[in-house]
Amino acid sequence: MENTKAPEKFIVAIGPQHPALKEPGHFEFTVDGEIVTNATARLGFVHRGMEKGTEDRNYVQDLYLMERVCGICSHVHAMAFALGVEKLAGVQAPPRAQAIRELIGELERIHSHLLWLGVAAHEGGFDTLFMYTWRDRETVMELLEILTGNRVNYSANVIGGVKIDVNKDQKDALKYGMDFLEERTKHYMKVVTEDETFLGRTRNIGLMTKEQAELLGAVGPTARASGVERDVRVDSPYAGYDMFPVKLVTEPAGDLEARFVVRINELYESYRLVRKIVSKLPDGELTVKVPRRIPEGETISRVEAPRGELFYFMRSNGTDKPDRIKVRTPSLCNWASVLTLAVGHKLADMPMILAGIDPCFSCNDRMVTINRGNDTQVWSWEDLRKYGIAYYK
Amino acid sequence: MPTTKKIKVTSADILANAHKALQPWTLSETTPEENRLDITVDASNIKNCVQALMDVKWGYLSAITALDRAEFETAEGTTERTPVKGKGNLEILYHFCSGPVVTTLRVALDYQKAEIDTICDIIPSATLYEREAAELLGIDFKGTPNTEHLLLPDDWPTGVYPLRKTFTGLSKKQKLGNKEK
Repeated sequence: MENTKAPEKFIVAIGPQHPALKEPGHFEFTVDGEIVTNATARLGFVHRGMEKGTEDRNYVQDLYLMERVCGICSHVHAMAFALGVEKLAGVQAPPRAQAIRELIGELERIHSHLLWLGVAAHEGGFDTLFMYTWRDRETVMELLEILTGNRVNYSANVIGGVKIDVNKDQKDALKYGMDFLEERTKHYMKVVTEDETFLGRTRNIGLMTKEQAELLGAVGPTARASGVERDVRVDSPYAGYDMFPVKLVTEPAGDLEARFVVRINELYESYRLVRKIVSKLPDGELTVKVPRRIPEGETISRVEAPRGELFYFMRSNGTDKPDRIKVRTPSLCNWASVLTLAVGHKLADMPMILAGIDPCFSCNDRMVTINRGNDTQVWSWEDLRKYGIAYYK
Repeated sequence: MPTTKKIKVTSADILANAHKALQPWTLSETTPEENRLDITVDASNIKNCVQALMDVKWGYLSAITALDRAEFETAEGTTERTPVKGKGNLEILYHFCSGPVVTTLRVALDYQKAEIDTICDIIPSATLYEREAAELLGIDFKGTPNTEHLLLPDDWPTGVYPLRKTFTGLSKKQKLGNKEK
């Protein structure tokens, strides 16, 4: 009676719950043997209704709320929000404030890219690299703490400027830290471009052509690793990026290796920017006065988060509370592209392909279910990871 | 491999290209800020517009924003604003980015008939944005490949759209996670 039709495809469901982690997401891969034939996502397990929440709070409260959208790239959210409100109010933060915004933005990028490098190495079964990068990441975390008092949610922005200044001791610490990290990063570049076993997991894997990246709207390092020249810091400079411009980093290959190389090259670029800002920080005020009631209007605020373009659409109604705040995070764009991209790849490559886009990472470390007709096997993400590593042994 | 010659395009050119590509369907056009172009189009033409932008390789779909443009009334003697039932409309904005320029296709939709064609057959990655707008503001994307919940809980009551201005919370009866039946 049962099994009159032999199931030819399995559905591999990843997520949503895992006791050790805080950011759940659910992904289902339909596989035909080893090859993925379809991929879908179900998000929202930590949907907090923040967009609705902004409508009941005033702009100052919203600044703190938006900073908590993401724990890894909190500063860019607050910066995008503050820049948007300033545009609506018709004011501009002073140059010193803009430069400090850029400084913290770049430090945040360094911490985020190092974090990603470690986790991606871990997914590929290279735990030594993971431990080294996370040890070195502490350097930049401490610098952020020295500057702002916090390791995450730095709370550097206020509407109309920043609330922290940089003194001479902090400048010295920053320079010293950048020198140390630059040396270490040279080593990482060598590992990801020369280590044979690592290249076996990254070279020519997860290919995304330039055309695909452009059509699917991939953003950030994921797009730039496919040769797409897309970086909000360059295309439409905000905060201090017109005073301290950034060089666009791209790689033509479009595979996982290119995504590693792009991010590591961006690290060099961030070190250079931090040094430059520290040595040429403009003098002057840190804030301007912004009215409590924001005039009616609409604006779009785009900034480059470590993962790519962060998009804010803001609409004010003349009161002290916004009418609508729409947030589109870069991970969403890249999810959309990776779900399309996953089709045709091996199941064993999924951990690395997902890792390659640097989604807010804990999203991936989930339980995995393999559906095979009546027989359901439950895998943990760890099992899938091990399966991937064993496959390539 | 042929080497492609790099030509410097200014943002004015990019704006002009978008303007030209969308000309046949434009109802009205504004430039609210520098490097922005807002074009109002009719819901029935959305596919043509998106296809036209993709045909000329104009940027990429950056986001879809759905808005509730409700009309409000203020009760006398207070600052409390409450939405007037049935007045106002929904609006859906398709933001396309190319370099520094953002072109927004604006489509107004009635509360009663909040329907629009899907654009997933042109841009497959739009499915996540469409699912978000569908469940948070109740916009019906005709032909969208996946209509499952993306963000809201599985037991969220049907027909309740949290980003509409009239939504102020679930009633006791609608409470989630109530397993006893």
